[in-house]
Amino acid sequence: MAGSVIVAVTRPVMDLRKAGPTFGFEPGMLEGLLVVLLLATWLWGWYRAARQFRSLPALVQRHPLLCLHGGFWLLLLVLWTTQPAQPPVRGVLVGCAVALPFLLWRLGYLLLAAQRGRLTGTRLRDHLIYLWPTWGGTDTPYGKGHDYLKGVEAQDVEALARSQLAGLKLFVLALACAIGKDLIEGLVFGEDNGIRRALGGITLGIPTLDAHLLAPRGAHPIWTGWAALYFELFRLVLRMGANGHVIVGCLRLFGFNVFRNTYKPLLAETIVDFWNRYYFYFKELLVNTFFLPTFTRWFRQSPRLRLLAAVFAAAFFGNLYYHVIKSAPLVRGDWMALAAMFNPRLIYCFLLATGIYLSMRRQQLRPGATAPRSRPRRAVAILGVWTFFSVIHVWHRGEASFADRVDFVTGLVGIG
Amino acid sequence: MSAAREQQRQELLRFLRSIQKAGLPVERLADGDPLVASGLIDSLAILQIVTWLETTYGIDFAVRGIAPEDLATIGGILEVIGESAGRSPA
Repeated sequence: MAGSVIVAVTRPVMDLRKAGPTFGFEPGMLEGLLVVLLLATWLWGWYRAARQFRSLPALVQRHPLLCLHGGFWLLLLVLWTTQPAQPPVRGVLVGCAVALPFLLWRLGYLLLAAQRGRLTGTRLRDHLIYLWPTWGGTDTPYGKGHDYLKGVEAQDVEALARSQLAGLKLFVLALACAIGKDLIEGLVFGEDNGIRRALGGITLGIPTLDAHLLAPRGAHPIWTGWAALYFELFRLVLRMGANGHVIVGCLRLFGFNVFRNTYKPLLAETIVDFWNRYYFYFKELLVNTFFLPTFTRWFRQSPRLRLLAAVFAAAFFGNLYYHVIKSAPLVRGDWMALAAMFNPRLIYCFLLATGIYLSMRRQQLRPGATAPRSRPRRAVAILGVWTFFSVIHVWHRGEASFADRVDFVTGLVGIG
Repeated sequence: MSAAREQQRQELLRFLRSIQKAGLPVERLADGDPLVASGLIDSLAILQIVTWLETTYGIDFAVRGIAPEDLATIGGILEVIGESAGRSPA
């Protein structure tokens, strides 16, 4: 118990000290501890509010997530407008702003559960495994919230053993994904790593996607552009597997037999299926936080518009928002840097949302279609999905300018 | 099982038959079996279930809140209907 408390306090302090320089501050131990204390108080306050959800003001009951995020924006506003220069005050405020996105999505699940009356009979300690995960995790809550975890929790010794075996299997899979990723990085992209060295330094030497984007037109043949696109996608999927399987593996060792975060996305035959399989808990976060609230509130009389609005709320706005609130330029209030950082992502999110909407509509128009496709048709569908996600990934991140990206994409099909 | 819940169950099964994939009899599913994982419906059909619950039972999910897990099984959907009717499911 004492060990858990020590880890629960020291881990976020260490994480803050590590992340600090990116955000332009270097918190000392005292500042770090103050941040952790404030965050714990904030978390406790929201937990108490969730427990008494039905007695909260009507506005909070109807829009719990807006109110939750409103608190974060209020903090940013204070930070931007007062620009406190004194080290302890500024350090603590910046530290809170840096760390809050980690808690926001977790508290979101808590409040959504409270809204649905699902907190009855639970205590704070029941929620700490996802609210304050000392075992690790990312801003995206793997395993979602309490009621989801409760639903998959092992109820007997046999189920626990099954869950733990599944967890161990995921650790092995994570290792395989990490090796696969290193193989691509070493043998395809020519990065210097242990696997490449062990294989005598051989490599195809295909420039990475970033290198293609930054190179002048015609510097590389078209085929290496396409190869870089697809291998970049494979690398991303393997990296996602290597990281996500470890986190889900930990949860399974604790007896929560949750879904995998990444489940064979490269076999998906539709865009929406890939999106579901590639980063499951991020997709779930967007669905629970943006898609469903929009779907249940807006355009009820127009099914197409309703779906369109919900998809764009999640895959476009939500996706963008998730990344913006954890970015350094936002915390610094550096609008030019923020715009430069998210310009390409705006396109990425727009293309992603459009693709998902069209894929969903297509699926809706073919209800009951269960006849398995022939192998060639499946292969074509899978290749189409790979191509879509590879191409939109050009807009995902990196240093290249808008013009460089357009130039690269048009160059892939021999235009220009 | 109360008569009201049985009637709700029959209405729900009738609706599920109208949106289910071909070749998988809905009657085979128990109340706790997962609808999507069993292959009866795809994940998008959850949206059709939401719309059906809104129009048939007047459930306002904007007020009540919603999680896909609530609608993942026949039992879960009946529970949502039961809650909306202001009574606990039988």
